[in-house]
Amino acid sequence: MTKTYIGKIVQIVGSIIDVFFDNHLPSQNELLHVKTEDGNVDIEVLAHRPGGICRCIALESTEGLARGMQVESTGNPIMVPVGEQVVGRVLNALGKPVDGKGELTGERASIYREAPSLIEQSPATEVFETGIKVIDLLTPYAKGGKIGLFGGAGVGKTVLIQELISSIATKHHGRSVFIGVGERSREGYEMIEEMQESGVLSQTSLVFGQMNESPGARMRAAFTGLTMAEHFRDKEKQDVLLFIDNIFRYVQAGSEISALLGRMPSAVGYQPTLATELGQLEERITGTKHGSITSIQAVYVPADDLTDPAPATIFSHLDATTVLSRKVVEQGIYPAVDPLESSSRILEPDIVGELHYNTAKRAVETLQRYKELQDIIAILGMDELNPEDKLLVYRARKLQRFFSQPFTVASVYTGMEGKYVPLAKTIESCNAILDGKCDDIPENQFFFIGDLSDIPGYQP
Amino acid sequence: MTDYAFLTDELKRQVQSFEYGTQLKEAGRIVACGDGVLTIEGLVGVKSGELIYITGGKYALAMNLEEDSVGAILLTNARDLSEGDLAYCTGRIVSVPVGDELLGRVVNPIGEVLDGGKPLKGEKFRRTESPAPSIFDRSKVNEPLYTGIKAIDSMIPIGKGQRELIIGDRQTGKTAIAVDAILNQKGKDVICVYVAIGQKIAAVNSVIQTLKKHDSLSYTVIVSSTASESAPLQYLAPYTGTAIAEEFMLQGKDVLIVYDDLSKHAVAYRAISLLLKRPSGREAYPGDIFYIHSRLLERSAKLSKELGGGSITALPIIETLAGDISAYIPTNVISITDGQIYLESELFHGGMRPAINVGLSVSRVGGSAQCQAMKEVSASVRLDLAHYREMAQFSQFGADLDVATKQTLAKGARLTESMKQRQGCPKSMGIMVLELYVAGKNFLSDVELSSVNAVLSEFISFVSEYYPYFIAGIERKGKLSEEDKKSVETYFAEFKRKRETV
Repeated sequence: MTKTYIGKIVQIVGSIIDVFFDNHLPSQNELLHVKTEDGNVDIEVLAHRPGGICRCIALESTEGLARGMQVESTGNPIMVPVGEQVVGRVLNALGKPVDGKGELTGERASIYREAPSLIEQSPATEVFETGIKVIDLLTPYAKGGKIGLFGGAGVGKTVLIQELISSIATKHHGRSVFIGVGERSREGYEMIEEMQESGVLSQTSLVFGQMNESPGARMRAAFTGLTMAEHFRDKEKQDVLLFIDNIFRYVQAGSEISALLGRMPSAVGYQPTLATELGQLEERITGTKHGSITSIQAVYVPADDLTDPAPATIFSHLDATTVLSRKVVEQGIYPAVDPLESSSRILEPDIVGELHYNTAKRAVETLQRYKELQDIIAILGMDELNPEDKLLVYRARKLQRFFSQPFTVASVYTGMEGKYVPLAKTIESCNAILDGKCDDIPENQFFFIGDLSDIPGYQP
Repeated sequence: MTDYAFLTDELKRQVQSFEYGTQLKEAGRIVACGDGVLTIEGLVGVKSGELIYITGGKYALAMNLEEDSVGAILLTNARDLSEGDLAYCTGRIVSVPVGDELLGRVVNPIGEVLDGGKPLKGEKFRRTESPAPSIFDRSKVNEPLYTGIKAIDSMIPIGKGQRELIIGDRQTGKTAIAVDAILNQKGKDVICVYVAIGQKIAAVNSVIQTLKKHDSLSYTVIVSSTASESAPLQYLAPYTGTAIAEEFMLQGKDVLIVYDDLSKHAVAYRAISLLLKRPSGREAYPGDIFYIHSRLLERSAKLSKELGGGSITALPIIETLAGDISAYIPTNVISITDGQIYLESELFHGGMRPAINVGLSVSRVGGSAQCQAMKEVSASVRLDLAHYREMAQFSQFGADLDVATKQTLAKGARLTESMKQRQGCPKSMGIMVLELYVAGKNFLSDVELSSVNAVLSEFISFVSEYYPYFIAGIERKGKLSEEDKKSVETYFAEFKRKRETV
């Protein structure tokens, strides 16, 4: 049993609390309890300051705290429940259950640990199918890979992640972990309801640190969920699916804390420690010899600016990136994937096969050429294009529309049944469009279909 | 000299009685004041967020609890305050009067009446800050809240418990949309709260007059902190408004709250933070600027049945500069709300009013709250218009247009035209459904673009005159059956014949 040391609050500014200990300083990242009349308020040590003072971040609301209040050390960092007991449960950032299904008393693990070393990690090279045409074709996801869904506000990140949960997690036979970081509580409610209906909930652990919570709690929620996923991977030797909505909020919470601590702000007001903070989290999300973690991370892009330091830093950690764009939304195409901004590390002929690789390459080339021609069209009009380019423009527009797809989870809004399209069908349909086999079908017919056989009267 | 004696004594006493454990010391003394910010010595036991009483009947709010002093913001007039005044802990966290007696009243952020009427009895109080309903206290957003504005109710529908941002430059009709939404709640058993933050007194007054004129003040509470009031009061206003709304929500009622506007709220909080010497980050805003808005807006929710099923629907307003939605505060609030209604000055000046940019406006949840009739007629409208705009751009320079494309363009232009609506003229759900059905089914293809709205309104009067129960029927059922659709078609044909003969 570790000895408990008692300290005293000397300063409270917003969520930052200074605690004085006169004989023994708790170590960094140690969890402390502030004793109040209504129970404990949890705080975490962030730094040591001269004169025996620990600078701490509150993980709960600081309202009602006063100077002079007693603080107890616990001797360890935040410890969260792991293993079988958390399956089918909903927890907060501190690992406390919030679903009213009883306390968790089993095994616990610290939320801080090092990333697996070089020799322990194993790279991801196996494709897995999502049934979403544009993703499977242009940005194939890898089993055990790290996937980012980038997009500004309201372009459909959360809907896409929900669709992926409904199409992948229902077929996945291992454990899934869902982490809600700094998103809306309403979405948390809808996510749980959705999972309950599709039956995924009984195989999933959920952790929420939503935007109504303090920055400290929001930042730790990501580690809490990840710790559970790591435990499933290492101890139960499972392949784990990890969903994070939204990793940007982790960075954002870090920047709030940074400003509260009075650190010198870096570019665009972000924390100076942006890259290392993100590295500490992202490097832990990886596959090892024991099992894999396939992670799908939504990334909010502030003001649709992909060069913003947060998304720009997140990019480098990912194997596949699907970028959702407002320009595509404005055309009424959902999912609003921008084919020219999205990419995947495994789109290589020796991994996905020649046919897939070549089809994807042709599709991207056609769309790229159309993009270049758009300026000419805007100035001179379609009539000035040579016949070859005209044909290309019409095919590219059909391809763009073909990449729209009705989603199962969005059927309440759109009134359209969701469609799962196998990769082989997608490749076949794409080639048909690019080869000009659909030149006499009006482009409107390509909206929200599965494969080409959904077009009435289409003869392959 | 007496001042120094007080301090030394105080110091001695504190040193002597220093020990671990909770200490309470109730009194303190102001050592610096100005700009609505106080530095107080003493008040050892003061809690974070506690109300401080200052001699002479003034109140302040404890913000920074520093090692040797307390930074507080003044909630009342600062003029006759001076160094050396005594301050006392009250043991209370800031709370305001709530309940039915506020309906039809105008109050300031600490609950004092401003409308010249009799003061509030103050039978019930509620903390201005309280935690948002947790995930498990919520229920699905599944009931529509009609604004009476066709473009919004069809394409950017709002549900009870949703937070929908209204964003745009100055003079693009942001407040008008919010006020129209309040007017449309008449007789619908929805309580409205209008929170004015840093507005001109004249602007607040004109909102009150509009509400009065339309007989809508009786179900509305107005919380007003005008531009001339101190930053702390402006900062407090939305929390006060939300506390008032929460009281009604917990009674199981539906509430609509308008925050006009949160950009000024952010500016007020920035002023306080800078004066309190808290570190600042991007655009000189403090680190917790996102958190003050996220925890405010998360309090708007639809409660579960067990908690009475009440709801707060929020319409926060953000003013942008030169249409820049990528500035810090707009992106923050966009990422908190469940969607945004984006207003553009180009559209406004081009005669498109309300000046809603449909392409950039979103509603994340409202669709599931629409009734079947509305869902059916509006399902295609949004996509139709999106395709129309894209097509219009593409075909701008005389590409060879096939017949289908020409039709799409003509239909799109008429649909766009039919979305125009004057301020202060909310439409009922039944009328909107009828109009959308007519425009969506391309019945207007042979009508001149400029007379689209005139024809529509003539048609509505025609139906109300000859088939008086039809519109009410749709509203009651919330459905548009196959039979109804056929009726609309016959009615329209009749109407057209009649119109031609005249």
